[in-house]
Amino acid sequence: MGVVAAALDYDAELMLRVKDGDSASFGILLEKHRSAVIHFLYRMVQNHAIAEELAQEVFLRVYRSRGTYEPTAKFTTWLFRIATHLALNWLRDGKNEKGQEHLDETSDDMPVRQVSDRGLSVEQKMVYQVKIHEIRRAISTLPEKQRAAVLMHKYEEMEYSQIARVLSCSESAVKSLLFRAYETLRMRLAHMA
Amino acid sequence: MNCPIERHENPELLLAYCTGKLDSETRLALERHMAVCPACREFQTGQQAVWEALDAWEAMPVSTDFNRRLYRRIEEEAAHASWWSRLARPFRAMFEAPLMSRSVPLAAAACLLVLAGVILEQPNNFTNSEESAATIETIQPDQVERTLDDMEMLRQFKLNPSSAEAGTVNSM
Repeated sequence: MGVVAAALDYDAELMLRVKDGDSASFGILLEKHRSAVIHFLYRMVQNHAIAEELAQEVFLRVYRSRGTYEPTAKFTTWLFRIATHLALNWLRDGKNEKGQEHLDETSDDMPVRQVSDRGLSVEQKMVYQVKIHEIRRAISTLPEKQRAAVLMHKYEEMEYSQIARVLSCSESAVKSLLFRAYETLRMRLAHMA
Repeated sequence: MNCPIERHENPELLLAYCTGKLDSETRLALERHMAVCPACREFQTGQQAVWEALDAWEAMPVSTDFNRRLYRRIEEEAAHASWWSRLARPFRAMFEAPLMSRSVPLAAAACLLVLAGVILEQPNNFTNSEESAATIETIQPDQVERTLDDMEMLRQFKLNPSSAEAGTVNSM
């Protein structure tokens, strides 16, 4: 707990240095959290180019807000609140039609490294691609907030309380979101066991 | 242990078990329960499949030019902001100077007083214009009469140029 708290303080401390004009601290925060934000956004919108565009906007907003930054919450809570807000806006703006089109392109948005560097046979690669496609489709069927909650819970290993602060809801609401989401995913993915 | 699924008690217990976040004592108790509870065992198997599937879903690596693009946007925003601040600087200085910050309200008040004075003066101008209108109204009928006389004279001149001329001489 002490180590976690120290990590929290370090991110907030870095951001306070950015507030004081230390651009190098912004670079450190960017390197530390860039991948997590992009990967979260990628799994939310399921389009890598859009995810990077939204991630740019996330860090731009962080930088713009440096003058008024106050460490009232964990830095990652604030960061993912911005990211979730942008992702939800993008999805609700109806651009999810484009996301669905990309979802159907099973290989276009697949990282080449994933498929080619595993030493898999052609058949194994095809099975893998079908599996990933099913996972992406299962996630895409989740309502947006359930999707965000699952991604933060599974990939960022956030506690219920932090997810609640990101989504601006209660802990019990987060638990409800997660249970419904995982129930849906179990129905769709249990056959993969 | 009571079945978390059947009794709807502390259901996140199973979720915490699947994510490996249970303490060892609770985990062992739950595993003993799962050995005899088909519903919990089915939950555990299904959830494990979900975790493994989600683990297999790796994200693409970040673009190599991500940072460069971000910093370029930051620089562009800063350049735009500085251009705007340079444009507004003369006006900002006017309002930021302590003396001016007191003088501006006074100047504004003075302007308002002058404007009020001008407005108060307006009724006299309106009175003069009303008088002018009255003068015009009194003058115009005379002018109309003379014009009508002239027109009658012209008409007579057209009908009988010689008698019209004589009439004119006699009237003079």
